[in-house]
Amino acid sequence: MNALKRLVDENDLLLHEPGRLAIVSVLAAVQSLTFTELRDVLELTDGNLSVHLQKLEKPGFVAIDKQFVGKRPQTSCRLTAAGREAFAKYLQHLEAIVQQGRSRPGA
Amino acid sequence: MDTQEASRTLEVIRTLMERTTQYQFLTARAGLAAGVLACIGSVLFMFLDMADPWAFAAVWALVFVGSLLLTCVCTVMRVRERGEQVWSRQAQAVVMALTPAIFAALVLSVFFFVQGWHLWLPGVWMLCYGQGALATSVYAPSIIRKMGLVVLAMSVVTLALGPAWSVLMMALVFGVGHIWLGLTLLAAERRAQRSLRVFRTVA
Repeated sequence: MNALKRLVDENDLLLHEPGRLAIVSVLAAVQSLTFTELRDVLELTDGNLSVHLQKLEKPGFVAIDKQFVGKRPQTSCRLTAAGREAFAKYLQHLEAIVQQGRSRPGA
Repeated sequence: MDTQEASRTLEVIRTLMERTTQYQFLTARAGLAAGVLACIGSVLFMFLDMADPWAFAAVWALVFVGSLLLTCVCTVMRVRERGEQVWSRQAQAVVMALTPAIFAALVLSVFFFVQGWHLWLPGVWMLCYGQGALATSVYAPSIIRKMGLVVLAMSVVTLALGPAWSVLMMALVFGVGHIWLGLTLLAAERRAQRSLRVFRTVA
């Protein structure tokens, strides 16, 4: 069974989309980021980021907390345990593909 | 997904994670400028007497202040180019990590000048620089950790060689070392920009 088939089986294709993968990669490196920080790091539009976050929130990969800092509302995003696990699996699959390619004769 | 795409994706993930945790505004331009200033400072001692503490203090103070100013200007320019905050979370962490080494260097500089041991200072500055670079290595690109280790090793060599070699070692470590750092950062900046550009066209 090849690595891509495993990706499909484990329903990790959600992370395969570049925008969502970028969000998860950034969130995996920190405890949490505000919506604005995430938008600025990734240079995505508000709308684009919102849509991707909603898609990641649905399976519980990302948690979104809304709170007030002073009088201003602030949205912060963090990767959940399930999100970290899915990301780690995704990385393992990528590494497996790279390893497969290297071990193939003539690669 | 083929091997090339997988390894490119892994590289982009790494770049994104590093970009989030690391202080990325240390510019190649600042490294190159600091290196050139240190070389100019060393060359000046072909005309000045390095045993004169005032000349020694004046030249290296100008090099230090000049490098610091150029680093600040280049950093602010880079931050503005990217439309980000100057006093960011990472910037605060880097300054906090650097403060003990800078404080130690200042105190030791005053002490060595007062004692008349100023020609031993290059080795001491290298010790402090190496320690400072290693202290920021959690937040800085890996090249800074390597630079810190090299400078620490060179500080031992400089102290072992003694005062006669102090100016030459300053040129080698802070001059050539910073130019090498600048060129490496320049290559890394170009590599990161290229891989992110490819990724964004897909995203």
